[in-house]
Amino acid sequence: MKRPVHLSTPLAPESIRNLKVHDIVTLTGTIYTARDMAHLKLKELKESGRPMPEVFAGGVIFHAGPVVKKADKGFTLLTIGPTTSIRMEPHSDFMGDLGVKALVGKGGMGDGSLRAFKKYGMVYLLAAPGCGVLHAQAVKEVRQVHWLEEFGMPEAIWVLEVTEWGPLTVAMDSHGNSLFHTIKEEGLKKLDALVKDWKRSSA
Amino acid sequence: MKKIETKFGEAFYEALVRGVTGISPDILRLMEEALAEEKSPPAQAMLEAMLKNVELAQKLRKGVCQSPGIPCIYVRCGPKMAGIDVKKITGESIIRATREGYLRPSIVHPLTRKNTGDNSGPGIPNFEIELDPKLEYLEAIVSFKGCGPELFNTFRTFTPESLGKNLEGFKRFLLETVINAGGKPCPPIGLGIGIGGQMDGAAKLSRKAISTRKWNDQNPDPELNLLEQDIRDRINQLGIGPGGVGGKTTALAVKIGIAYTHTAICPVALNFHCWVGRRFGFKFYSDGTREEIL
Repeated sequence: MKRPVHLSTPLAPESIRNLKVHDIVTLTGTIYTARDMAHLKLKELKESGRPMPEVFAGGVIFHAGPVVKKADKGFTLLTIGPTTSIRMEPHSDFMGDLGVKALVGKGGMGDGSLRAFKKYGMVYLLAAPGCGVLHAQAVKEVRQVHWLEEFGMPEAIWVLEVTEWGPLTVAMDSHGNSLFHTIKEEGLKKLDALVKDWKRSSA
Repeated sequence: MKKIETKFGEAFYEALVRGVTGISPDILRLMEEALAEEKSPPAQAMLEAMLKNVELAQKLRKGVCQSPGIPCIYVRCGPKMAGIDVKKITGESIIRATREGYLRPSIVHPLTRKNTGDNSGPGIPNFEIELDPKLEYLEAIVSFKGCGPELFNTFRTFTPESLGKNLEGFKRFLLETVINAGGKPCPPIGLGIGIGGQMDGAAKLSRKAISTRKWNDQNPDPELNLLEQDIRDRINQLGIGPGGVGGKTTALAVKIGIAYTHTAICPVALNFHCWVGRRFGFKFYSDGTREEIL
């Protein structure tokens, strides 16, 4: 594995533009979880000119919903891992417009996101899927939560402090490259041959 | 509550906590084999992270993945055990495990999106019960998988024409669906394939096949067994790899369930399962003893 690039929030624009697909990074600082409902509500606030709950400039959005327990003071985070990012595909340009510099999730995003990443200088970071305990190790503090009552635990925005979170893989960069697109194209190229030369089949 | 119900409830809760703080031993073995065979460093790193996560979850007694999906419970029940209110007891166990932090409250009203806060709600858990007059015991198999994979489940009704010569239509449909899902359903995946019946029948068969069978077992039907292996091998040639970063292992297992169908149609349902197979199963007897089967 490559040596990781250590990044801290707020992310500097040039440090993100420098990243290329396959690079490995770790993140330190403040991150915000956001899934479907949070994205929809942020958009609604923006469109109606109401204030945002946080300043997202140079920020990191984690497509995730944690398991948290109420503690004497605030919350204790038990587990957190990436959710399927493609659901947030319609919002990438909006995220860029808010100043978000990195989206973290699993499974990758589409062409619209690649365009937004180029336009705003953003990256998509892949977090190992299904690893709720591993990622939780990097979370040092639950600083704040927005919309918990309204949306419930998974869909709320959780503001988390992380230290050297990673390794995270740069899977889509700001230069139009996507690891997922390349792998999909290679798979599609093999498809005809795999179907035609399907030997040994019982059927 | 009857004494036998209390005993069943205790046995179920204990098994549930064990089930969600690790992955099924058959899947763990397949993951270790996948790591041994993997040559590409990013794929190796991904599998190592996944195995380390399982180890940490067991050590810290935490849910191995934050996403419990919709819990599925498969019950077979003999006449002696028919007095146990399995649906109620298992539902209550899930609520208790949610309050204890082993499961994230993830269940909402489908239209208002209001979260119930404890993984309860009409139709939750997904529950199937089969009565069998010959059984001396009650058998329960419980399966948790993340909900990401559900986004890629697909159904198609084939005709004799569209199935194609040598099932080429069917094979293309399978591989295309897996390519389009790519890294999104948390590969290495398990793929359940339900064939036959009508739409609902095929869908149920697809989920049951991948949720209740050991991923390293053999299909008792030798023809289907061969087809399962063939499909898995073809999927693994697609190069999607663990987490979608490329690599040798995209599917750990393919499991097929069939029912006979009408002469005009061939319904096919595909059910994606993430690598985080959290399952347990046991037989429960009228004297309160139990025997683990998964």
